[in-house]
Amino acid sequence: MDVGRLAWRTPTGAMLWEIWGRHKVNFAWQGVALGAGLGFVQWKRQGVSEIPAAVLALASLAGFVGGYLHLLSCFGYVEMDESKVKVGYPSRLLLKPLRTFQLILVPMLLGGLATTAMLDIWMAFVLKPLGFLPAYDLWWISAVLLSFFWWMQALAWSLPLVRFRSLVMVAAALLHLSVGVLPQLPFDISPGWQWGILATLLVTAVPVAWLGLKLMRQGTWEGPSRISLLWSRLFLARARGRRGTFRSALGAQFWLEWRRQGWLLPGLSGGMALLGFPFLFFVGFKWVGVGAPPPEAILALMFIGPLLLSGVLGAAMAKFNQLDSAHELPGYIAVRPMTNGGLVLAKLAMASATSTLTLLLNVAGAILCLVIAGQGTLLSKAGLATPFGAVSYLTGCLPALLLLGIMIWKNLLAGIGAGLTGRPWVVRLFGFWRGAVGMGLVALVMAAKLYENFREGLLHWLTGILIACLAAKIVVSIAAFSWGLRRHAITAGAIGWIVGGWSVCSAFAAGYAGHVCNAIHQPGLQVWVMLGGFLILPLADLAIAPLALAWNRHR
Amino acid sequence: MKFPSPSSADAVIAVSNLSRHFGIKAALDDVSVFVPRGGVLGLVGENGAGKTTLIKHLLGSLKAQTGSVRIFGLDPVLDPVGVLGRVGYLSERRDLPGWMRVDEFMRYTQAFYPGWDEPYAGQLLEQFQLDPAQKIKTLSQGQQAKIGLLTSLAYRPELLILDEPSSGLDPVVRRDILEAIIRIVAEEGRTVLFSSHLLDEVERVADYVVMLQHGRVVLNGRTEVVRGEHISAVLAFAAPPAKTPVLAGAHAVLGYGSEWRVLFGGSQRELETAAALIGARVVDARTPTLDEILVARAGGKGS
Repeated sequence: MDVGRLAWRTPTGAMLWEIWGRHKVNFAWQGVALGAGLGFVQWKRQGVSEIPAAVLALASLAGFVGGYLHLLSCFGYVEMDESKVKVGYPSRLLLKPLRTFQLILVPMLLGGLATTAMLDIWMAFVLKPLGFLPAYDLWWISAVLLSFFWWMQALAWSLPLVRFRSLVMVAAALLHLSVGVLPQLPFDISPGWQWGILATLLVTAVPVAWLGLKLMRQGTWEGPSRISLLWSRLFLARARGRRGTFRSALGAQFWLEWRRQGWLLPGLSGGMALLGFPFLFFVGFKWVGVGAPPPEAILALMFIGPLLLSGVLGAAMAKFNQLDSAHELPGYIAVRPMTNGGLVLAKLAMASATSTLTLLLNVAGAILCLVIAGQGTLLSKAGLATPFGAVSYLTGCLPALLLLGIMIWKNLLAGIGAGLTGRPWVVRLFGFWRGAVGMGLVALVMAAKLYENFREGLLHWLTGILIACLAAKIVVSIAAFSWGLRRHAITAGAIGWIVGGWSVCSAFAAGYAGHVCNAIHQPGLQVWVMLGGFLILPLADLAIAPLALAWNRHR
Repeated sequence: MKFPSPSSADAVIAVSNLSRHFGIKAALDDVSVFVPRGGVLGLVGENGAGKTTLIKHLLGSLKAQTGSVRIFGLDPVLDPVGVLGRVGYLSERRDLPGWMRVDEFMRYTQAFYPGWDEPYAGQLLEQFQLDPAQKIKTLSQGQQAKIGLLTSLAYRPELLILDEPSSGLDPVVRRDILEAIIRIVAEEGRTVLFSSHLLDEVERVADYVVMLQHGRVVLNGRTEVVRGEHISAVLAFAAPPAKTPVLAGAHAVLGYGSEWRVLFGGSQRELETAAALIGARVVDARTPTLDEILVARAGGKGS
């Protein structure tokens, strides 16, 4: 029996069949994730696992959230088109001879049904047995998530061209988060009121979606919105008065890089530091009756956060268009009269500006958190992060913060050489190589811990190994720079900037690391960590980057 | 002597024996093209003939596997700054940053070209009726072609390369773009290379024409000479031939019954001689359009 042919006999069946056909592989993965969650529950019940229950609960929660977002993208018609993510109601369906109500109700009702069923199964069989959200009523969570689901659908379809649609959607998400925690708030809100608020949200989502889609179908949303046009004109009027031309091609390219991805890390990390963490620590924790964490934890989170985030975002830093999966150099950049070294320099400069701004925002976030915590002055708490004791907090903090900024910059540029080739197989190969090296290092450390003879041998040769690595790095860099100069991929000036920057930063990192070894009375480690300071910052990668870009640009 | 030819002095574009393979497919096979300063060359050929591949070599986006490419005597791969600073390029793909506003894209592009002529850019902006506050992604296809052309012309490049500039555009926008190109050629004497499917455009503007077929140059010369070397004729047979007649020198033979239309490569006398050999006589002969020549060369039948 051909199920597909049967499904096409009704419009609802056809719409469902299209969603199923497009996403069936991912639906299978949802089944696998649920199976894994059930396995975790059995594992925990039998008591054979030494893995803490919290880790199992978090892994299961990640599976559930992934499944929920997947259903949202399926029934919300989030689609990829020519490497671009399209969020909105597909125009191919708008042309079908169906009423607007039918167009919205099919994905809303069936998506809601699928989501609620999935939630109930996960909650009943996986999350609650793992000890997750024990205090929450299943009906309440289901209704909140259903309302969130419908509102995301409604806004995604209703505001296709409106500027700040993402912000409106974030606001709706925050509203649902606030409503979701209503039963846990210390305020006296009766269950009747709580359900009333939630029911209002649920009921209004449908007419919002209907009205938005109806207007879109009538062409009301065609072209830029009035808000968008007004904003552009106001902005342009201001820009005309203020802005001249760029001083140089490098300045223009830096501006482009900044606009594409420079603000991303400061936005995410600074947003969390200045808004997210203060809210979580000092408002959210109080609501659920948990005290604020100690200042050491706050400071650690503030400064580890950007390090981790920069590692994640660094994977896309080589791209000129984040939405393009192929890393290819866009034509409008490729035909500009600029050397490949110049294009790379603009990226390095953007990474520097991003790192600096991120650091400043996180420092401000740390100050804000400490002030809100009322745990003493900034200086006395900042002293905790330095090995210099209570006397010279400020002088101790500044180099540590500078080193942190350098590490963020380094993370952002990890893999730039591979990424700029514009060849996905090189990026994958490089990722595999990095993974292999990382696992090799972990194996080396574990072996050194387990076997004393091996450890002694390793420590005996460690200085030599590190010097050999540093020499290899320098030799590769010299070769790459020479090749780049011969191929006109980079200028001597750009090499000067890169080598000068690397030398200063590495010397600083090595010097500071050596100084810390002294301060913590571990002089035996001094040579190794100083060599590590020179090894950890990229040079060969930066030397290869112009050549990699040339390989991408001149295929 | 055919022109463009390797012996032409002061060639702005000099492509010699260029070959390019993608896997086992030969995209370009021993291509040689020379364009003198001030010349306008129309690059024609069916889809997949290798026009865009050749243009990518001129811009340095593709590296010559064999042969050489020189623009102003420079290698565009080894000296992209030296070459691209003097070249204006409009792509068929309209590869533009949709997130930028029109004025931002103009400012961005201006930074790379010291010769950017601001009054001229403003004049083009007005002529093309573009709104500087509008985002590029919200522009129509025709408007995107216009902003692409504006940013290619505003620094008055010595060489203008246009890859299917009017592809997918309505006749009004096509006319606007073509007129802008004609003005540049007429008033400033710049060198232009443009590829197009619309051969009436090529005939109108190009001094020289190069026709590519399966990566090879099959025609190369002055436009009027290329047209003059072909004849579109009607052959009349006393009795209808049983099958398609085979005419020596014909690129295409099409028809039915006792009258057949041929596209012949050669002189009138050669045509009459060849027709007589197969028992036909020439009843109508005229100079074909480039369109007819391309269609005959690309998909015609004949000997």
